[in-house]
Amino acid sequence: MITITRAPPYVTVQNGGRKHSRSFGVPRGGAMDLFAIRAVNAIVGNSLDAAALEWALGGGAVRFDRDCLFAIGGATARATLSGKVVAPCTTTHARAGEEFTVEQITSGRFLYLACDGGIDVPVLLGSRSTYLPGRFGGYDGRMLRSGDSVALGARPATHPAEGFHSAADLMPRYDSEIVHVTPGTQEDLFDESAMRTLTESDYRVSTASDRTGYKLEGPALGNSLGTLPSEAGCPGAIQIPGDGLPIALMADAPTVGGYAKIAVVSEADLPILAQRRPGESIRFQLITIEQSQRALKRRVSDMHTISQLASRSSPD
Amino acid sequence: MTRTPLRAHPLGDSAVTILFGAERSTELLRMIHSAARSLEAAKIPHVEDVVPAYLALTVFYDPLHVSYEDISATLMAACDRATHSSAKSAQSREHRIPVRYDGMDLEAVATSTGLSVEEVIARHSRRTYTVDLLGFVPGFAYLSELDASLQLPRRAQPRPRIAAGSVAIAAAQTAVYPLDTPGGWHIIGSTQTVMFDPTRDAPALLAPGDTVRFERVA
Repeated sequence: MITITRAPPYVTVQNGGRKHSRSFGVPRGGAMDLFAIRAVNAIVGNSLDAAALEWALGGGAVRFDRDCLFAIGGATARATLSGKVVAPCTTTHARAGEEFTVEQITSGRFLYLACDGGIDVPVLLGSRSTYLPGRFGGYDGRMLRSGDSVALGARPATHPAEGFHSAADLMPRYDSEIVHVTPGTQEDLFDESAMRTLTESDYRVSTASDRTGYKLEGPALGNSLGTLPSEAGCPGAIQIPGDGLPIALMADAPTVGGYAKIAVVSEADLPILAQRRPGESIRFQLITIEQSQRALKRRVSDMHTISQLASRSSPD
Repeated sequence: MTRTPLRAHPLGDSAVTILFGAERSTELLRMIHSAARSLEAAKIPHVEDVVPAYLALTVFYDPLHVSYEDISATLMAACDRATHSSAKSAQSREHRIPVRYDGMDLEAVATSTGLSVEEVIARHSRRTYTVDLLGFVPGFAYLSELDASLQLPRRAQPRPRIAAGSVAIAAAQTAVYPLDTPGGWHIIGSTQTVMFDPTRDAPALLAPGDTVRFERVA
């Protein structure tokens, strides 16, 4: 069990999300940064889809109620265990009763905390993820509050060595200025100049950004299309509403919508956008679907590499 | 109806959208619903979800195990077969939803439409509606086609919270709010029927192509 002793402004239980319920209108949801959550799971020896804490917007503290091998990753944070600095993407051993504290998230947006055995909340529609707008999944469908305790799964028989850490080149390049996109389903309805504007300008993440979508600020794209008959969208889809300013759909975006989609962010690069704070900018670069799927495969294979390296580090 | 050839387009790394036509019509929608059901029934390997909509259906798949090129070819062939097949899909269900016509906008709807409250209720409850689309929030079913005399634009100011079970109308559609959510439709009634429950095997009560009748209860 772990207990939230001082809740940060935002913390939920997440994993890879729901892949078989979109036809019921249930968004994929799950972690905003699917590669950070897989990486911290791999590092502590969990399956890549185990549930972990997604933490944002500020500091807080958690107590481990059993011995635990844990790791943090995604956003960068000043964090300590019983006063000692906790390194990112590195296994740290906590004894029962020790307290893990995040003083501050120093860069990026979503921090993931994985514990060996994973967080054990009920599986709903194939996932342990919290879907806040629907108030279901995760821990009672809500954010964790001070005093809440969440169960952990059984500790695996063997575990990675303490101090095992994953090489930086196996992780997304969060400092990259470039976020790759593929052409969207309505790309052909826009003028040629629209795609050029989208890919040749810097776009800043607006303060109007949350788990549902990130509004982007920069040159407006001419859009005389208005609202179209609704069709499916997906996390990463860049839609253009009437004001011409792009909105990138994120994990909790509704399954269908009526704005034209000019492009879709490559899944391999979606963490780079997800971890951008309001005011920070990115630049989109167009690639083909084949290139994008290759990049995704490489990124997933890197996650399996971390799992293998973690397993080989085992002292047992 | 003139048939336009199907067109496939990737929607990111893990989905393909298959466009069936350029103009909304009841016939096109039925064709898309029927194709979606065929795809679901075909249990095509690596397919995760099928989401039908007005002009297109979108199939989500696992790109780690099948390329866009291969899955889109498989899906196009399956959709093509489905649209040429004369077999009626028998899977759509009929639902009766008891409604208490006690909504906070009922009086205002009567005023705006120039009808009596009784007449608004009569015209809403006498039709058989068809589920066009699921979306907006889990289990939210867009139902067509509302009586022309009841068609009003959405409220200028959406409400921050509409209670689950609220029966509402906007433009040519009616719906039941499955969850407490913000919303801009006109609330004319309420139902005890649970439209969405994530713990059920079929979490959403309604599926695209199903028909719905609202039955007035006291």
